[in-house]
Amino acid sequence: MTTRQENRILAAPVVLFLLAMLGFPTIIDIIYSLSEVSFENLRSPSFNGGQNFVTVFNDAEFWSASWFSLKFGVTTAFAECALGLILAVYLAPIIRNNNWMIAVLIMPMIIAPVMMGLMYRLVLHEFVGSLPHYLYTWFNWSPAFLSRENVFLTVFTIETLQWTPFAFLLFYMAYQAIPSDMREAAAVDGTRPWRMFWYIELPQMAPTIAVGFFIRFIDGFRVFDNIFVLTGSGAGGSTTSLSIYIYLSFFRSGDIGKALAASVVLFCVAFVILFFAGRFLRRKRA
Amino acid sequence: MKNRKSNIFRWVVFIIVAFIINFPVISTISASLKSAAEISRSPGLFVSEPTLQNFAVILEVTERLNIFAYLQNSLMASLIGSILPIMLCFPLSYAVARRGYGTNVIFPTVVNLRAMPLIIFAIPLYMMYQTLGLLDTPLGLGLVLAVVNLPLALLLLVNAINDVPYELDEAARMDGARIFTILIKIVFPICLPALATVFIFSFITAWNEFLFGLMLTTTKAVPMTVGASFFFSSGGGGVQWGVAAAVIVVASLPPVVLGILMYKHISRSMTAGAVKG
Repeated sequence: MTTRQENRILAAPVVLFLLAMLGFPTIIDIIYSLSEVSFENLRSPSFNGGQNFVTVFNDAEFWSASWFSLKFGVTTAFAECALGLILAVYLAPIIRNNNWMIAVLIMPMIIAPVMMGLMYRLVLHEFVGSLPHYLYTWFNWSPAFLSRENVFLTVFTIETLQWTPFAFLLFYMAYQAIPSDMREAAAVDGTRPWRMFWYIELPQMAPTIAVGFFIRFIDGFRVFDNIFVLTGSGAGGSTTSLSIYIYLSFFRSGDIGKALAASVVLFCVAFVILFFAGRFLRRKRA
Repeated sequence: MKNRKSNIFRWVVFIIVAFIINFPVISTISASLKSAAEISRSPGLFVSEPTLQNFAVILEVTERLNIFAYLQNSLMASLIGSILPIMLCFPLSYAVARRGYGTNVIFPTVVNLRAMPLIIFAIPLYMMYQTLGLLDTPLGLGLVLAVVNLPLALLLLVNAINDVPYELDEAARMDGARIFTILIKIVFPICLPALATVFIFSFITAWNEFLFGLMLTTTKAVPMTVGASFFFSSGGGGVQWGVAAAVIVVASLPPVVLGILMYKHISRSMTAGAVKG
């Protein structure tokens, strides 16, 4: 057996599995998104050109869902990275000797996002929630967390509180990985802590911060679980992310063509973003 | 002196942050230990008359709710979803690590799946499963969870094989051992600790998954995450908050226990994807 044949055999399991689980669905995505299709004629869709795409692009809900996802992804990624960075650098001196603190701080991200969403349903509940209870007792005031005006801030805060630990962990590792002789050399030169952070440590951590931001943006952009169980598409549809939009189009409206056309659009957008992000990160490293 | 003072500040910040981010967990545990009367009387964190009544309620199997079935389904699907990616990726990661095979197309494609919104495949998978009879089965759910876990498994396994001394398999090769013998007899045993980490991490991810569980199961194969949300949709009468809290506690227990036991390894694998990818 030549090495080349061997390599092909070694790669075969993953390739065949992905072709079956994702390649085939992609083809269905494309064919059905171009067809007139409902639950009645699932097996024999009839081609209708780009009609489904026209429907999607003319759907105001699609645009508001896209806007929500984008806004949610950017704001949560930014907040998580900023807070995570501050925590990682500020707490580093005491964590170094107390590794268990990491276990306490990363607890939220080990819990399923859907469970977090359900927990907040309880915590924020008007009558049985502990947070409104304390706000009433101490300040005699409590906002309607899930009202149309407040709901974005609420889901933003929930997502940020759950995933700041991820940014923290990532940045803490990167901070620990900075070669100690760099710090020592700067210290010998009498560099002050703030300048040390700004001119030496931050540039060293920059690639990790970029990757961390990207991962958190992607996860925020495709958010589903916690918002779905917390608000449904509630509060007047103001928290419908693209994932929720696709889900609802399919399962509640039975609008298969529209759901699939939206899936294809999302696929293309994700592909383009990934392509350019990959190139950007590679160039930065080189 | 100055140093000690600023460290006290750091401890204060740590305690406050830890309390805030874990507040829903603390609050849910407290609610799960209260009677219905106490929850509505005092919704705060303090429990004056702790009771296990809520946990007794969720263990009762009713026509609508069966927590044992949910746990069993989650266990089955998560085991498939965490073992299968390792088996699939192990051979490929050897080719990638040792021979640089697939570094242009296969490797980046698989790793980038981590960033794909997987809902775009959900509807066609639903149709495909309907035809194949995989809808509402733990196997069907497990297969999708394997896709979810594939990127990180590949990445971590490539790292693990990179750490295996090259001389070991080269020596075996010289002795005329075949590639599969080398993989199974030499590389696999050395990589076992890394494989265990991948397994635990994938298991947690699979256990916590919700979207595919919601879409691809209806009654027989409902996983714990989806089953837990059933307790929040009241079947006549309002939501029983103490019971709902108890369900959350039970459903979150497996990943949390694994997470606490393995946090050092997990934190490394969670970040490996970011640092190298």
